[in-house]
Amino acid sequence: MPPRVVITGIGAVSALGGDVAALTAGLIEGRCGIGPLTLFPYRGRCATAAEVPEAVPAAVAVAPATARRLSRPDRFALTAASEACRRAGLGDDLRRDAALFVGATTGGMFETEQVYGRRRAGAERRYRLSRMVGTPVSTAASVLSQALAIYGPQATVSTACSSSALAVAMAADAIRRGAARVALAVGTDGLCRLTYAGFDALQALDPDRCRPFDRERRGLSLGEGAGAVVLEDADHARARGARVQAVFLGYGTATDAHHVTAPHPAGAGALAALRAALAAGGLAPEAVDYVNAHGTGTPQNDAVEVRVLRDVLGAQLARIPVSASKSQLGHCLGAAGALETVVTVLALDEGILPPTVSLRDPDPACADVDLVRTPGRRARLGVALTSSYGFGGHNVTIALGRAER
Amino acid sequence: MDRDAVRADVKQLLATGLRLQVAPETIPDQEPIFGEALGLDSIDALELVVLVEDRFHVSIPDEEVGRRAFASVDALVDFILAERPG
Repeated sequence: MPPRVVITGIGAVSALGGDVAALTAGLIEGRCGIGPLTLFPYRGRCATAAEVPEAVPAAVAVAPATARRLSRPDRFALTAASEACRRAGLGDDLRRDAALFVGATTGGMFETEQVYGRRRAGAERRYRLSRMVGTPVSTAASVLSQALAIYGPQATVSTACSSSALAVAMAADAIRRGAARVALAVGTDGLCRLTYAGFDALQALDPDRCRPFDRERRGLSLGEGAGAVVLEDADHARARGARVQAVFLGYGTATDAHHVTAPHPAGAGALAALRAALAAGGLAPEAVDYVNAHGTGTPQNDAVEVRVLRDVLGAQLARIPVSASKSQLGHCLGAAGALETVVTVLALDEGILPPTVSLRDPDPACADVDLVRTPGRRARLGVALTSSYGFGGHNVTIALGRAER
Repeated sequence: MDRDAVRADVKQLLATGLRLQVAPETIPDQEPIFGEALGLDSIDALELVVLVEDRFHVSIPDEEVGRRAFASVDALVDFILAERPG
Protein backbone atom coordinates (compact mmCIF):
# COMPACT_ATOMS: atom_id res chain seq x y z
CA MET A 1 0.00 0.00 0.00
CA PRO A 2 1.47 3.38 -0.92
CA PRO A 3 1.50 5.84 1.97
CA ARG A 4 -1.35 8.28 2.49
CA VAL A 5 -0.38 11.86 1.75
CA VAL A 6 -1.33 14.84 3.88
CA ILE A 7 -0.71 18.57 3.69
CA THR A 8 1.09 20.00 6.71
CA GLY A 9 2.13 23.45 5.54
CA ILE A 10 1.10 26.21 3.15
CA GLY A 11 2.58 29.52 2.06
CA ALA A 12 1.29 32.26 -0.20
CA VAL A 13 2.31 35.50 -1.86
CA SER A 14 -0.44 37.15 -3.88
CA ALA A 15 -2.11 40.43 -4.70
CA LEU A 16 -3.93 40.01 -1.38
CA GLY A 17 -0.62 40.16 0.53
CA GLY A 18 2.62 38.45 1.38
CA ASP A 19 1.51 35.55 3.56
CA VAL A 20 -1.25 33.06 4.31
CA ALA A 21 -2.78 35.33 6.97
CA ALA A 22 -3.24 38.12 4.41
CA LEU A 23 -4.65 35.66 1.88
CA THR A 24 -7.09 34.20 4.41
CA ALA A 25 -8.26 37.66 5.49
CA GLY A 26 -8.68 38.69 1.84
CA LEU A 27 -10.70 35.56 1.05
CA ILE A 28 -12.99 36.08 4.04
CA GLU A 29 -13.41 39.81 3.40
CA GLY A 30 -14.01 39.20 -0.29
CA ARG A 31 -11.27 41.57 -1.38
CA CYS A 32 -10.36 41.86 -5.05
CA GLY A 33 -6.63 42.11 -5.73
CA ILE A 34 -7.06 43.35 -9.27
CA GLY A 35 -6.20 47.03 -9.84
CA PRO A 36 -4.28 49.28 -12.21
CA LEU A 37 -1.20 47.77 -13.89
CA THR A 38 1.78 49.72 -12.48
CA LEU A 39 4.75 47.39 -12.92
CA PHE A 40 5.54 48.61 -16.43
CA PRO A 41 4.07 51.09 -18.91
CA TYR A 42 1.71 49.39 -21.30
CA ARG A 43 -0.32 50.78 -24.15
CA GLY A 44 -2.98 48.37 -25.28
CA ARG A 45 -6.58 47.43 -24.74
CA CYS A 46 -6.16 46.78 -21.02
CA ALA A 47 -4.43 48.27 -18.03
CA THR A 48 -5.36 46.12 -15.02
CA ALA A 49 -3.63 43.30 -13.17
CA ALA A 50 -3.44 41.63 -9.77
CA GLU A 51 0.03 42.81 -8.71
CA VAL A 52 1.85 41.68 -5.60
CA PRO A 53 2.20 44.74 -3.32
CA GLU A 54 5.77 46.05 -3.12
CA ALA A 55 5.66 45.77 0.66
CA VAL A 56 5.97 41.99 0.45
CA PRO A 57 9.16 41.13 2.29
CA ALA A 58 12.24 40.25 0.28
CA ALA A 59 14.05 36.97 0.46
CA VAL A 60 15.11 35.29 3.64
CA ALA A 61 18.18 33.18 4.33
CA VAL A 62 20.04 33.67 1.05
CA ALA A 63 23.52 35.08 0.52
CA PRO A 64 23.39 38.86 0.04
CA ALA A 65 24.81 38.54 -3.49
CA THR A 66 22.01 36.11 -4.43
CA ALA A 67 19.34 38.24 -2.76
CA ARG A 68 20.36 41.28 -4.81
CA ARG A 69 19.80 39.38 -8.03
CA LEU A 70 16.57 37.52 -7.29
CA SER A 71 13.93 37.91 -9.96
CA ARG A 72 10.48 38.87 -8.65
CA PRO A 73 9.05 35.34 -9.10
CA ASP A 74 12.08 33.81 -7.37
CA ARG A 75 11.58 36.22 -4.47
CA PHE A 76 7.86 35.34 -4.31
CA ALA A 77 8.73 31.63 -4.37
CA LEU A 78 11.27 31.98 -1.60
CA THR A 79 8.87 33.92 0.62
CA ALA A 80 6.01 31.45 0.09
CA ALA A 81 8.18 28.34 0.42
CA SER A 82 9.83 29.63 3.59
CA GLU A 83 6.41 30.27 5.08
CA ALA A 84 5.15 26.80 4.15
CA CYS A 85 8.21 25.13 5.69
CA ARG A 86 7.94 27.24 8.83
CA ARG A 87 4.23 26.54 9.24
CA ALA A 88 4.85 22.81 8.70
CA GLY A 89 7.59 22.90 11.34
CA LEU A 90 10.20 21.57 8.93
CA GLY A 91 13.61 22.07 10.47
CA ASP A 92 16.94 21.56 8.71
CA ASP A 93 16.83 17.78 9.20
CA LEU A 94 13.38 17.39 7.62
CA ARG A 95 14.11 19.69 4.70
CA ARG A 96 17.40 17.95 3.86
CA ASP A 97 15.85 14.87 2.21
CA ALA A 98 12.68 16.58 1.01
CA ALA A 99 11.65 16.51 -2.65
CA LEU A 100 11.05 19.78 -4.44
CA PHE A 101 8.72 20.40 -7.39
CA VAL A 102 8.26 23.81 -8.94
CA GLY A 103 5.73 24.93 -11.54
CA ALA A 104 6.36 28.17 -13.44
CA THR A 105 6.03 29.60 -16.92
CA THR A 106 8.11 32.74 -17.53
CA GLY A 107 10.88 32.80 -14.89
CA GLY A 108 12.73 36.12 -14.72
CA MET A 109 11.25 37.46 -17.94
CA PHE A 110 10.39 40.86 -16.41
CA GLU A 111 14.02 41.48 -15.41
CA THR A 112 15.23 40.25 -18.78
CA GLU A 113 12.90 42.69 -20.50
CA GLN A 114 14.35 45.49 -18.35
CA VAL A 115 17.89 44.61 -19.46
CA TYR A 116 16.84 44.48 -23.08
CA GLY A 117 14.99 47.78 -22.78
CA ARG A 118 17.99 49.58 -21.26
CA ARG A 119 20.32 48.15 -23.86
CA ARG A 120 17.98 49.11 -26.68
CA ALA A 121 17.58 52.64 -25.30
CA GLY A 122 21.36 52.99 -25.23
CA ALA A 123 21.50 53.23 -21.42
CA GLU A 124 23.85 50.24 -21.32
CA ARG A 125 26.37 49.20 -23.94
CA ARG A 126 26.40 45.55 -23.04
CA TYR A 127 23.95 43.06 -21.57
CA ARG A 128 24.11 42.81 -17.81
CA LEU A 129 24.58 39.26 -16.54
CA SER A 130 23.20 39.99 -13.08
CA ARG A 131 19.79 40.89 -14.48
CA MET A 132 19.63 37.76 -16.62
CA VAL A 133 20.78 34.99 -14.29
CA GLY A 134 17.16 34.62 -13.16
CA THR A 135 15.75 34.19 -16.67
CA PRO A 136 15.26 30.39 -16.81
CA VAL A 137 12.19 28.91 -15.09
CA SER A 138 14.54 26.50 -13.32
CA THR A 139 16.17 29.21 -11.18
CA ALA A 140 13.33 29.21 -8.63
CA ALA A 141 14.11 25.60 -7.70
CA SER A 142 17.79 26.43 -7.59
CA VAL A 143 17.24 29.39 -5.25
CA LEU A 144 14.84 27.42 -3.05
CA SER A 145 17.12 24.43 -2.72
CA GLN A 146 20.06 26.66 -1.77
CA ALA A 147 18.18 28.88 0.66
CA LEU A 148 16.26 26.09 2.37
CA ALA A 149 19.00 23.42 2.09
CA ILE A 150 16.83 20.89 0.25
CA TYR A 151 18.87 18.05 -1.27
CA GLY A 152 16.20 15.54 -2.39
CA PRO A 153 14.72 14.82 -5.83
CA GLN A 154 13.88 17.98 -7.75
CA ALA A 155 12.06 19.00 -10.93
CA THR A 156 10.60 22.09 -12.55
CA VAL A 157 7.51 21.63 -14.69
CA SER A 158 5.93 24.01 -17.15
CA THR A 159 2.50 23.12 -18.48
CA ALA A 160 1.19 26.67 -18.83
CA CYS A 161 -1.59 27.49 -16.36
CA SER A 162 -1.64 24.04 -14.77
CA SER A 163 2.13 24.01 -14.05
CA SER A 164 2.01 24.16 -10.29
CA ALA A 165 -1.10 22.00 -9.93
CA LEU A 166 1.04 19.40 -11.67
CA ALA A 167 3.91 20.21 -9.28
CA VAL A 168 1.59 19.45 -6.33
CA ALA A 169 0.55 16.18 -7.99
CA MET A 170 4.18 15.23 -8.65
CA ALA A 171 5.04 15.95 -5.02
CA ALA A 172 2.27 13.59 -3.90
CA ASP A 173 3.56 10.94 -6.32
CA ALA A 174 7.09 11.27 -4.95
CA ILE A 175 5.79 10.47 -1.48
CA ARG A 176 3.59 7.62 -2.69
CA ARG A 177 6.44 5.91 -4.50
CA GLY A 178 8.69 6.33 -1.49
CA ALA A 179 11.17 8.76 -3.06
CA ALA A 180 10.65 11.17 -0.17
CA ARG A 181 8.60 11.42 3.00
CA VAL A 182 8.27 15.20 2.75
CA ALA A 183 7.84 17.13 -0.50
CA LEU A 184 7.56 20.82 -1.20
CA ALA A 185 5.50 21.96 -4.19
CA VAL A 186 5.79 25.57 -5.29
CA GLY A 187 4.22 27.56 -8.08
CA THR A 188 5.51 30.98 -9.00
CA ASP A 189 5.17 33.55 -11.75
CA GLY A 190 5.59 37.30 -12.08
CA LEU A 191 3.90 39.73 -14.41
CA CYS A 192 5.91 40.72 -17.46
CA ARG A 193 5.41 42.48 -20.77
CA LEU A 194 5.62 39.24 -22.73
CA THR A 195 2.75 37.65 -20.85
CA TYR A 196 0.66 40.80 -20.77
CA ALA A 197 1.07 41.62 -24.45
CA GLY A 198 0.54 37.98 -25.39
CA PHE A 199 -2.77 37.62 -23.60
CA ASP A 200 -3.83 41.04 -24.88
CA ALA A 201 -3.03 39.99 -28.45
CA LEU A 202 -5.17 36.90 -27.89
CA GLN A 203 -7.98 39.25 -26.84
CA ALA A 204 -8.17 37.15 -23.71
CA LEU A 205 -8.00 40.02 -21.18
CA ASP A 206 -10.96 41.72 -19.56
CA PRO A 207 -10.32 45.49 -19.84
CA ASP A 208 -11.66 45.91 -16.30
CA ARG A 209 -11.75 43.10 -13.71
CA CYS A 210 -12.37 39.52 -14.72
CA ARG A 211 -15.85 38.22 -13.94
CA PRO A 212 -15.81 34.42 -13.97
CA PHE A 213 -19.19 32.80 -14.68
CA ASP A 214 -20.84 36.18 -15.27
CA ARG A 215 -23.08 36.79 -18.26
CA GLU A 216 -20.93 39.83 -19.14
CA ARG A 217 -17.55 38.18 -18.70
CA ARG A 218 -15.02 39.35 -21.25
CA GLY A 219 -11.79 37.64 -20.35
CA LEU A 220 -9.25 37.02 -17.62
CA SER A 221 -7.19 39.37 -15.47
CA LEU A 222 -3.53 38.52 -15.14
CA GLY A 223 -2.03 38.14 -11.68
CA GLU A 224 1.23 37.11 -10.06
CA GLY A 225 2.49 35.51 -6.91
CA ALA A 226 3.56 32.19 -5.47
CA GLY A 227 1.91 29.34 -3.65
CA ALA A 228 3.71 26.68 -1.64
CA VAL A 229 2.45 23.40 -0.22
CA VAL A 230 4.23 20.93 2.06
CA LEU A 231 3.04 17.39 1.38
CA GLU A 232 3.99 14.58 3.69
CA ASP A 233 3.63 10.88 4.33
CA ALA A 234 0.71 10.70 6.80
CA ASP A 235 2.55 8.32 9.15
CA HIS A 236 5.58 10.59 9.14
CA ALA A 237 3.42 13.61 9.94
CA ARG A 238 1.65 11.78 12.76
CA ALA A 239 4.90 10.49 14.24
CA ARG A 240 6.35 13.98 14.52
CA GLY A 241 3.11 15.50 15.75
CA ALA A 242 2.63 17.78 12.75
CA ARG A 243 -0.71 19.54 12.36
CA VAL A 244 -2.48 18.18 9.27
CA GLN A 245 -4.32 20.88 7.32
CA ALA A 246 -5.83 18.65 4.64
CA VAL A 247 -5.57 15.17 3.16
CA PHE A 248 -4.39 14.71 -0.43
CA LEU A 249 -6.96 12.26 -1.81
CA GLY A 250 -5.86 12.01 -5.42
CA TYR A 251 -5.46 13.77 -8.70
CA GLY A 252 -6.16 13.29 -12.36
CA THR A 253 -4.41 14.65 -15.39
CA ALA A 254 -5.31 14.41 -19.07
CA THR A 255 -4.59 16.24 -22.28
CA ASP A 256 -6.90 17.78 -24.89
CA ALA A 257 -4.51 17.30 -27.83
CA HIS A 258 -6.67 19.86 -29.56
CA HIS A 259 -5.45 23.49 -29.83
CA VAL A 260 -2.60 25.75 -28.68
CA THR A 261 -4.88 28.11 -26.73
CA ALA A 262 -8.55 27.08 -26.99
CA PRO A 263 -10.01 24.43 -24.73
CA HIS A 264 -11.52 21.35 -26.34
CA PRO A 265 -15.16 22.31 -27.10
CA ALA A 266 -16.51 19.44 -25.03
CA GLY A 267 -13.72 19.72 -22.45
CA ALA A 268 -12.49 16.22 -23.23
CA GLY A 269 -9.22 16.53 -21.27
CA ALA A 270 -10.78 18.45 -18.37
CA LEU A 271 -13.49 15.83 -18.14
CA ALA A 272 -11.00 12.99 -18.10
CA ALA A 273 -8.85 14.75 -15.48
CA LEU A 274 -11.85 15.34 -13.19
CA ARG A 275 -13.03 11.74 -13.54
CA ALA A 276 -9.53 10.45 -12.88
CA ALA A 277 -9.18 12.60 -9.74
CA LEU A 278 -12.45 11.23 -8.34
CA ALA A 279 -11.43 7.68 -9.22
CA ALA A 280 -7.99 8.12 -7.64
CA GLY A 281 -9.61 9.30 -4.41
CA GLY A 282 -12.32 6.63 -4.54
CA LEU A 283 -14.87 9.44 -4.56
CA ALA A 284 -18.43 9.51 -5.87
CA PRO A 285 -19.99 12.84 -6.92
CA GLU A 286 -22.05 12.64 -3.70
CA ALA A 287 -18.83 13.09 -1.68
CA VAL A 288 -17.84 16.42 -3.24
CA ASP A 289 -18.65 19.51 -1.13
CA TYR A 290 -16.85 22.30 -2.97
CA VAL A 291 -15.21 23.03 -6.31
CA ASN A 292 -12.49 25.66 -6.57
CA ALA A 293 -12.88 26.16 -10.30
CA HIS A 294 -10.25 27.04 -12.86
CA GLY A 295 -12.73 29.89 -13.58
CA THR A 296 -10.62 32.27 -15.64
CA GLY A 297 -13.45 34.52 -16.82
CA THR A 298 -12.93 33.90 -20.53
CA PRO A 299 -16.16 33.10 -22.35
CA GLN A 300 -14.76 29.78 -23.61
CA ASN A 301 -13.20 28.43 -20.40
CA ASP A 302 -16.12 29.00 -18.08
CA ALA A 303 -18.65 27.56 -20.52
CA VAL A 304 -16.58 24.40 -21.06
CA GLU A 305 -15.80 24.08 -17.35
CA VAL A 306 -19.46 24.20 -16.31
CA ARG A 307 -20.26 21.63 -18.96
CA VAL A 308 -17.54 19.34 -17.59
CA LEU A 309 -18.78 19.75 -14.00
CA ARG A 310 -22.33 18.94 -15.14
CA ASP A 311 -21.21 15.89 -17.10
CA VAL A 312 -19.22 14.43 -14.20
CA LEU A 313 -21.15 15.54 -11.12
CA GLY A 314 -24.63 15.24 -12.66
CA ALA A 315 -27.56 16.04 -10.37
CA GLN A 316 -25.13 16.57 -7.47
CA LEU A 317 -23.82 19.77 -9.08
CA ALA A 318 -26.83 21.79 -7.86
CA ARG A 319 -25.82 21.36 -4.20
CA ILE A 320 -22.04 21.84 -4.66
CA PRO A 321 -20.74 25.38 -4.11
CA VAL A 322 -18.37 26.56 -6.86
CA SER A 323 -16.12 29.62 -6.83
CA ALA A 324 -13.32 31.15 -8.87
CA SER A 325 -10.37 32.48 -6.87
CA LYS A 326 -9.07 34.21 -10.00
CA SER A 327 -11.73 36.87 -9.34
CA GLN A 328 -9.62 37.84 -6.29
CA LEU A 329 -6.06 36.80 -7.20
CA GLY A 330 -6.12 37.27 -10.96
CA HIS A 331 -4.81 34.48 -13.15
CA CYS A 332 -1.36 33.78 -11.74
CA LEU A 333 -0.45 31.34 -14.54
CA GLY A 334 2.33 29.09 -13.27
CA ALA A 335 1.47 30.01 -9.69
CA ALA A 336 -2.28 29.52 -10.08
CA GLY A 337 -2.45 25.79 -9.35
CA ALA A 338 -0.41 26.01 -6.14
CA LEU A 339 -2.17 29.18 -4.95
CA GLU A 340 -5.58 27.63 -5.60
CA THR A 341 -4.49 24.47 -3.82
CA VAL A 342 -3.62 26.71 -0.87
CA VAL A 343 -7.06 28.37 -1.11
CA THR A 344 -8.72 24.94 -1.20
CA VAL A 345 -6.72 23.80 1.84
CA LEU A 346 -7.90 26.94 3.64
CA ALA A 347 -11.50 26.22 2.61
CA LEU A 348 -11.25 22.77 4.23
CA ASP A 349 -9.20 23.82 7.24
CA GLU A 350 -10.98 27.08 8.04
CA GLY A 351 -14.44 26.05 6.86
CA ILE A 352 -14.74 28.93 4.42
CA LEU A 353 -16.19 29.14 0.93
CA PRO A 354 -14.40 32.02 -0.78
CA PRO A 355 -16.55 34.06 -3.16
CA THR A 356 -16.35 34.88 -6.84
CA VAL A 357 -16.15 38.55 -5.95
CA SER A 358 -16.96 40.14 -9.29
CA LEU A 359 -20.02 38.02 -10.02
CA ARG A 360 -23.08 40.21 -10.65
CA ASP A 361 -25.30 38.51 -13.18
CA PRO A 362 -24.56 34.80 -13.56
CA ASP A 363 -24.45 33.37 -17.07
CA PRO A 364 -27.82 31.64 -17.67
CA ALA A 365 -25.77 28.67 -18.86
CA CYS A 366 -24.65 28.32 -15.20
CA ALA A 367 -28.20 28.38 -13.80
CA ASP A 368 -27.79 24.93 -12.26
CA VAL A 369 -24.51 25.84 -10.51
CA ASP A 370 -24.36 27.07 -6.89
CA LEU A 371 -21.94 29.96 -7.48
CA VAL A 372 -20.58 31.45 -4.25
CA ARG A 373 -20.98 35.22 -4.23
CA THR A 374 -19.58 37.95 -2.02
CA PRO A 375 -19.17 37.82 0.93
CA GLY A 376 -18.56 34.08 0.75
CA ARG A 377 -19.93 31.55 3.21
CA ARG A 378 -18.98 29.37 6.13
CA ALA A 379 -19.33 25.63 5.64
CA ARG A 380 -17.89 22.44 7.03
CA LEU A 381 -16.48 20.66 4.01
CA GLY A 382 -15.44 17.05 3.64
CA VAL A 383 -14.03 16.91 0.10
CA ALA A 384 -13.01 19.74 -2.22
CA LEU A 385 -11.75 19.75 -5.80
CA THR A 386 -9.47 22.26 -7.49
CA SER A 387 -8.94 22.27 -11.24
CA SER A 388 -6.30 23.91 -13.40
CA TYR A 389 -6.51 23.92 -17.17
CA GLY A 390 -3.45 25.06 -19.07
CA PHE A 391 -3.21 26.43 -22.59
CA GLY A 392 -2.35 23.64 -24.95
CA GLY A 393 -4.81 21.34 -23.20
CA HIS A 394 -2.88 20.50 -20.00
CA ASN A 395 -5.58 19.59 -17.49
CA VAL A 396 -5.15 18.75 -13.80
CA THR A 397 -7.74 18.21 -11.07
CA ILE A 398 -6.76 17.66 -7.44
CA ALA A 399 -9.03 16.19 -4.76
CA LEU A 400 -8.42 17.18 -1.13
CA GLY A 401 -10.19 16.14 2.06
CA ARG A 402 -10.64 17.66 5.50
CA ALA A 403 -8.16 16.47 8.10
CA GLU A 404 -9.59 14.03 10.64
CA ARG A 405 -9.33 15.42 14.14
CA MET B 1 40.10 63.36 -13.87
CA ASP B 2 42.19 63.22 -10.72
CA ARG B 3 42.74 60.30 -8.43
CA ASP B 4 40.10 61.29 -5.85
CA ALA B 5 37.48 61.79 -8.53
CA VAL B 6 38.23 58.36 -10.04
CA ARG B 7 38.07 56.78 -6.59
CA ALA B 8 34.67 58.37 -5.88
CA ASP B 9 33.49 57.25 -9.29
CA VAL B 10 34.64 53.67 -8.70
CA LYS B 11 32.80 53.52 -5.38
CA GLN B 12 29.67 54.95 -6.92
CA LEU B 13 29.90 52.34 -9.68
CA LEU B 14 30.25 49.53 -7.13
CA ALA B 15 27.32 50.73 -5.04
CA THR B 16 24.84 51.53 -7.79
CA GLY B 17 26.07 49.22 -10.57
CA LEU B 18 26.00 46.16 -8.32
CA ARG B 19 22.99 47.48 -6.36
CA LEU B 20 24.74 47.23 -2.98
CA GLN B 21 22.85 48.49 0.04
CA VAL B 22 25.79 50.63 1.17
CA ALA B 23 26.73 54.30 0.96
CA PRO B 24 29.56 54.61 -1.63
CA GLU B 25 31.83 56.57 0.74
CA THR B 26 31.78 53.72 3.28
CA ILE B 27 33.43 51.28 0.84
CA PRO B 28 36.99 50.71 2.10
CA ASP B 29 39.96 51.87 -0.04
CA GLN B 30 42.39 49.09 0.69
CA GLU B 31 40.45 45.89 1.35
CA PRO B 32 40.01 43.30 -1.40
CA ILE B 33 36.91 44.15 -3.46
CA PHE B 34 35.96 40.48 -3.46
CA GLY B 35 36.72 40.00 0.23
CA GLU B 36 34.30 39.79 3.12
CA ALA B 37 33.30 43.44 3.31
CA LEU B 38 30.95 43.77 0.35
CA GLY B 39 29.59 40.21 0.07
CA LEU B 40 30.28 39.96 -3.67
CA ASP B 41 30.46 36.70 -5.60
CA SER B 42 31.73 35.43 -8.94
CA ILE B 43 28.74 36.73 -10.89
CA ASP B 44 29.41 40.20 -9.46
CA ALA B 45 32.99 39.84 -10.74
CA LEU B 46 31.82 39.23 -14.31
CA GLU B 47 29.40 42.11 -13.92
CA LEU B 48 32.04 44.47 -12.54
CA VAL B 49 34.35 43.78 -15.48
CA VAL B 50 31.65 45.02 -17.83
CA LEU B 51 30.83 48.03 -15.66
CA VAL B 52 34.47 49.13 -15.30
CA GLU B 53 35.30 48.56 -18.97
CA ASP B 54 32.30 50.54 -20.15
CA ARG B 55 32.68 53.36 -17.66
CA PHE B 56 36.45 53.90 -17.89
CA HIS B 57 37.27 52.56 -21.38
CA VAL B 58 39.85 50.10 -20.11
CA SER B 59 40.19 46.40 -20.87
CA ILE B 60 40.17 43.56 -18.34
CA PRO B 61 40.77 40.67 -20.73
CA ASP B 62 41.42 37.82 -18.30
CA GLU B 63 41.34 36.61 -14.72
CA GLU B 64 44.97 37.50 -14.10
CA VAL B 65 44.41 41.17 -14.98
CA GLY B 66 41.13 41.09 -13.05
CA ARG B 67 42.81 39.79 -9.91
CA ARG B 68 45.30 42.64 -10.05
CA ALA B 69 42.71 45.32 -10.87
CA PHE B 70 40.24 44.18 -8.20
CA ALA B 71 42.77 43.71 -5.41
CA SER B 72 41.29 46.81 -3.74
CA VAL B 73 39.57 50.08 -4.61
CA ASP B 74 42.98 51.79 -4.59
CA ALA B 75 44.40 49.10 -6.89
CA LEU B 76 41.48 49.56 -9.26
CA VAL B 77 42.03 53.32 -9.30
CA ASP B 78 45.73 52.73 -10.10
CA PHE B 79 44.79 50.31 -12.85
CA ILE B 80 42.28 52.74 -14.42
CA LEU B 81 44.72 55.68 -14.26
CA ALA B 82 47.45 53.57 -15.87
CA GLU B 83 45.37 51.87 -18.54
CA ARG B 84 42.74 54.30 -19.71
CA PRO B 85 43.22 56.01 -23.03
CA GLY B 86 44.29 59.65 -23.24
